[in-house]
Amino acid sequence: MTETAAARVEMHDVSKSFGQVRALDAVDFEAAKGEIHALLGENGAGKTTLMNILSGLYRMDAGRIAVDGREVDIGSPQDAIAVGVGMVHQHVELIGNFTALENILLGREGARWKLDVEARRSSVEELAANYGLSIPLDEQVKTLPAGIQQKVEILKALYHGADILILDEPTTMLTPHEVDGLFSILKSFAKGGLTVVFITHKIQEVLDNCDRITVFRGGRKIDTIPREEATREILVRMMMGERGMPPEGERPTGPSAAREGHPALSVRGVRTSAKRGVPLRDVAFDVPRGLIVGMAGISGNGQKELAEALAGLIEVEEGEVHIDGEDVSSLSVAGRIARGMSLLPQDRIEEGILPGLSLAENFVLGLHPHIFRRRGIFEREAVHEMGRNAIAEFNILARNEHVPAAHLSGGNIQKTIVARSVMLAHTTGGKVMIANNPTRGLDVMAASFVHGRLRELRAKGAGVLLISEDLDELCLMSDRIVVIYAGEILGAFDGPKYDIYRIGALMAGQKQGAGS
Amino acid sequence: MSLLFDISLFQLTLLMMAPLIIACLGETIIERSGILNVGIEGIVTLGSVTGFLLTYYSGSAIIGCIVAALSGSVLTLLLAYFSITLRANQIVIGLGIFVLGLGISPTIYRLAVGVVQSIPQVPTLKEISIPILGSIPFIGEIFFAQNGLVYMSYFLVAAVSFFLFKTPLGLRLRACGENPRAADTVGIDVARMRYGACAVGGLFLGVAGAYLPLVISGSFTDNIVNGRGWLALMLVIFGRWVPVWSFVGALLFAYVDAFQFKVNALPQYAKIIPPQFLLMLPYVFAMIVLVQVARGAESPRALTRPYDREARD
Repeated sequence: MTETAAARVEMHDVSKSFGQVRALDAVDFEAAKGEIHALLGENGAGKTTLMNILSGLYRMDAGRIAVDGREVDIGSPQDAIAVGVGMVHQHVELIGNFTALENILLGREGARWKLDVEARRSSVEELAANYGLSIPLDEQVKTLPAGIQQKVEILKALYHGADILILDEPTTMLTPHEVDGLFSILKSFAKGGLTVVFITHKIQEVLDNCDRITVFRGGRKIDTIPREEATREILVRMMMGERGMPPEGERPTGPSAAREGHPALSVRGVRTSAKRGVPLRDVAFDVPRGLIVGMAGISGNGQKELAEALAGLIEVEEGEVHIDGEDVSSLSVAGRIARGMSLLPQDRIEEGILPGLSLAENFVLGLHPHIFRRRGIFEREAVHEMGRNAIAEFNILARNEHVPAAHLSGGNIQKTIVARSVMLAHTTGGKVMIANNPTRGLDVMAASFVHGRLRELRAKGAGVLLISEDLDELCLMSDRIVVIYAGEILGAFDGPKYDIYRIGALMAGQKQGAGS
Repeated sequence: MSLLFDISLFQLTLLMMAPLIIACLGETIIERSGILNVGIEGIVTLGSVTGFLLTYYSGSAIIGCIVAALSGSVLTLLLAYFSITLRANQIVIGLGIFVLGLGISPTIYRLAVGVVQSIPQVPTLKEISIPILGSIPFIGEIFFAQNGLVYMSYFLVAAVSFFLFKTPLGLRLRACGENPRAADTVGIDVARMRYGACAVGGLFLGVAGAYLPLVISGSFTDNIVNGRGWLALMLVIFGRWVPVWSFVGALLFAYVDAFQFKVNALPQYAKIIPPQFLLMLPYVFAMIVLVQVARGAESPRALTRPYDREARD
């Protein structure tokens, strides 16, 4: 191991539990001045918890923290700021109704009685220029795109005097171009002597951009290695342990795999009202049978509205939706389900389950008109049996079929919902599956499970619409990718090979001159 | 109809407006920090009984107002303790405070006064005409020939506006109401800000309560507040959490209130219009206006949400 410079931050034997769950178990971590240090691990490995302790949000149960060799007691974010720690959270912590400048000044306004935003403007502008961050300071933050919001938060941390900058999954909301831009900024920070710690689960980012890598698994630190010693294989082994990576699964073959006949789903010039979120503008595309069509786009560009319009949850003002050649535009949700459509909703807790009901009862949602032989009467035993079978078949970690759905982990909740959709697809003929960010926040194993089931549906001749913000996932899964921006389809790309920079340019709304 | 533009009607309007806006400003401060205080009616009631009693026994309206303010603050801090430290449901606690205030106030009154033949009275506050300004015809007579608390309400509108939008502390307070975690991560003590907002806002609520016996009735009766607390709560929404707009709203409601009061006092109308109908007017007006105005009103994002630093989302 190379001890290039004295450690800027050291954390020793840090432990933290949330109720019964041990999130961190005697973890060590250190980062040096002037390095980009990656914290790599799966969801739930404890990376974010550790950094939340360093930034004062969580109190550790046991352990020591030292900055520049001096032991410090970080009991609040204020203490963390005082020793130069600044964190950019995964979901940026900004105040939407304030301007960027107000957000940056908040907490360090530079005056006691009279707020004088203008007086501080020049120093903020100077700081921004020094660090190569250009930000419209007078815009309300909620109107700014995610990439800019992130820059506001970085500048905020710097303005508060951070020289240990922590970024939690900073690339999830960015296009490939923005990701490159972010890392070039971070590299210049490190050159200037800052310590940059970035949390991620993406191995490629780690290999491309950092000096040292610390890998976490299941609340423990596995090791810290310099970049030169790291390869994809080594990192995978450290991250996944004995389990290894799940099998990659069958690669997409491209649009040629489409089957004959009507497309499974045909969307024709669909418009929706602005009252229901981002209005869709003449959205038109097909999902042929036997294909997975990926939909790329940055969150909040109409994906949710599209999924809901297709499912029949929001009204289509103009245009038509066809399932297997039949116009279903005027049908209810139940009508569409009966014709073979199923939906994996984006927010699995809010929209996917009934948290207080049992697992078995959650399974039969949507299926109930189809499985009960005695109409109108709840066949308790049949439901329980189905629950038991599903738990076994889909490998869901639950004590039995009676546990309330809310007691399951995120990954198992998603398995439950996927299991339900798959069962629904079997029951109704399963023509179309609309999956809206089905793997967000899942660990690798659970994500692989979801992918496997989507591929299974594809192999059986269903059309799958996979909406995702993760371009890597889309490239891995899709036979074709369409790009949505501001409620409009900006382009379509045929697989199986994709140019992510061209897709990224469209995701950022650049209609022409895509790519670089 | 000259009745609608009568000088004395406008004077009465401002007189009726002051308690509404003072309570509304207190509630605005509290809500801007992220706490919804639905106990406001009860707190204002407590303010009116303590304000009345202390004025009655000490003979000084100033002492009455100070004690009323403090009592308002104390009761609001009880709400703060439950909603901030114990992270209880603010609606439930607020309703509890409402009932508590409404119940405890007549009890205090009866304990202090006992059963008496004649109701104790305090002299109502006199108008103070401001030199020069007060002699401007019409406008001056309306705005600057009022009691001291009305002048204070003008001042408070300006002061609270300045505080919220032009001071660092105001910025921090609003941050706590919008996104407490963001405030916390830049080193702002969210709990302290919220406690502070409740303590200060409570002072306003107490004074608003004291105003009613000291200016309007001269005595305390059980339902002296008569929905004014709830009205102030609505005025916060009407003003979209901006004091100046709440001030406009308070003027509107007070005008309708003053109007019904005037008309009820005129015998030629009393024959035609039942007094109950007139009494209803301000509230019907409140409902109609609010239904229109509240549409799309954006409350502080973290309103009613307790903040727990270690909560995982």
